Amino acid sequence: MNNHIDPLQCIIPPHMLKNIAEKGSDAQKRAALASLSASARIREQRTAFIRAMVIKVPAAIGVKHRSVYTANNGTYLPGVLMRDEGAPPSADVAVNEAYDGSGATYDLYMDIYQRNSLDGNGLRLNSTVHYDKNYDNAFWNGQQMVYGDGDGQLFNRFTISIDVIGHELTHGVTQYTSNLDYNNQPGALNESFSDIFGSLVKQRKLGQTADQADWLIGAELLTMNVRGVALRSMKAPGTAYNDPVLGKDPQPAHMKDYVTTLEDNGGVHINSGIPNHAFYVMAVEMGGFAWEKAGRIWYVAARDKFNSGTNFQSAANLTHQAAGELYGAGSLEQMAVAKGWSEVGITVGAQPEPQPQPQPNGCLAASIAALRALFGGK
Amino acid sequence: MKIDFVRSGGFAGLRLSVNVDIQTLPADQSAALAKLIRDSGFFNLPAQIKSPYGGADRFEYRLTISDAGRSHSVTVGEAAMPESLRPLIERLTEMAKSPR
Repeated sequence: MNNHIDPLQCIIPPHMLKNIAEKGSDAQKRAALASLSASARIREQRTAFIRAMVIKVPAAIGVKHRSVYTANNGTYLPGVLMRDEGAPPSADVAVNEAYDGSGATYDLYMDIYQRNSLDGNGLRLNSTVHYDKNYDNAFWNGQQMVYGDGDGQLFNRFTISIDVIGHELTHGVTQYTSNLDYNNQPGALNESFSDIFGSLVKQRKLGQTADQADWLIGAELLTMNVRGVALRSMKAPGTAYNDPVLGKDPQPAHMKDYVTTLEDNGGVHINSGIPNHAFYVMAVEMGGFAWEKAGRIWYVAARDKFNSGTNFQSAANLTHQAAGELYGAGSLEQMAVAKGWSEVGITVGAQPEPQPQPQPNGCLAASIAALRALFGGK
Repeated sequence: MKIDFVRSGGFAGLRLSVNVDIQTLPADQSAALAKLIRDSGFFNLPAQIKSPYGGADRFEYRLTISDAGRSHSVTVGEAAMPESLRPLIERLTEMAKSPR
C-alpha cells in the first residue's frame, strides 16, 4: 500500500483557507476547498471533498430526497430525471425499483439505527438506471448509485434485487463512516458490510427472522439460463452457482481458504464470504430479526471503531467489543459474535497484524481539522 | 502478438478472460485488433491506471500484450478508463464473452 504523503502545501495556512471557504466568493471557495483537499490527500478526507460537491439540503430528520434518472443506455451521469421524491410511479419498472429500494434502505438506517441517509445528514439518494448497453453490473461511484440492464441472457436488470440496491447504498454509508479501503481485507470487509446490510434491507421488507431468511445476494439477478441460485450465499459461501459459462462461486467460508490474488482489488468480492458467513452465524445464534442486534453491533462497530485499514481480525475484536458495550460483557450477544468469527477461523481477542496507517504531518493535520470544521464529522 | 485479457471485480465479482494470439485470427480481425492496440498507445500507458474516486463495484481490467521481444501489462479501473484505451477494452470484452 502506498503511504506517500504529499509534501507540505501550507503556504497559506489552513485556518485562512477555511475562512475563505466559508466567506469567499464562489470561485474563491472552490479554490480554497481545492487547496485544503490537496493538502489533505489521505483517503478519508476525500469524503469531505466529495461532500463539498454535493448540494446540502437542509436536512429534516426522516425525510427522504430520492431522485431516479435514466442514462438511456449511455454512460453520461446522472442522465435524465425520471422520478423525483414524492412523484407517482413511473411506467419504467427499473425506475420504480430504484426508488422503492432506496426508500427501504433509507428506512432501515433511519428507523433502526437513527441514521439520516448515507452521510447521517439527509444526503440526497440519486440513482441512475439503464446505464450503458447490456451492462451486467451496478456500482456506487462515490456520489450516486448506477444500475445496468443486464444482458438478458445471463443477467436480469440489476434493480430487480432489493439487496443489490441496499448493497450499493451501503457503500455510501461506509464511505461516510469507516471508509474501509477498497483493497484486500479492508476491501472485503467493505464488500461484506454492503452484502450484510443489503440482505437486512431485504429481510426487513419481507419481515423475516434470521432463521427464515435465505441469506442469498442477488437471487433474482440470474436468468433461467444460469445454473445457480444467486451471486453469493452468506449461509454457504461457495455454493451460490456452478455454471458452465459463469464458472463456480469462488467464495471461501473460512480463513483457511482465503484467496490471495491481485485481481478484483485483492479479491474483495471473493473474501467477503468470510465476514459474510461470520455475520450469518452470529445472527442465527442471536435469533430474531437480524437487523436488531447483529446488525446493530456491526453498524455501531463500523461507525465508531473501524478505520480505513481495519482487517478481519480487528473487525472481530471490534465487533466483539461493541457487543459487550451494547449488551454487556459476557452477554449472549457478545458470545454469539465470538462464535460467528470462530466459525470462520478467527478468534476474537487475538492480536491483529500491524496495519499501515497514513501519518498526518502538522500541515496535513491542520488541513484535516479545517475540512472537518467546515463539513462536520461522522 | 499475444494478448492476455482479464476482467474482474464488478458487483458479481466474476472473472472474464481471453487469450488471443493475433496471428491465429482471420486477417481482417487481426488488422482491426492491431489498429486498436496502436491507437490506444498501449505500450506507453502506465502499469496502473486507477481513479482516486473509484467508488465500489467497478470492473477492473488487466491487459498484457507481448510482441517481438517486448511485453507490457496495464491494470486499469473502469472509472479511470482512458478514452484511447476504451475501444480496445470493449473489443476484448466482447471476445471474452463470445463462445470459443
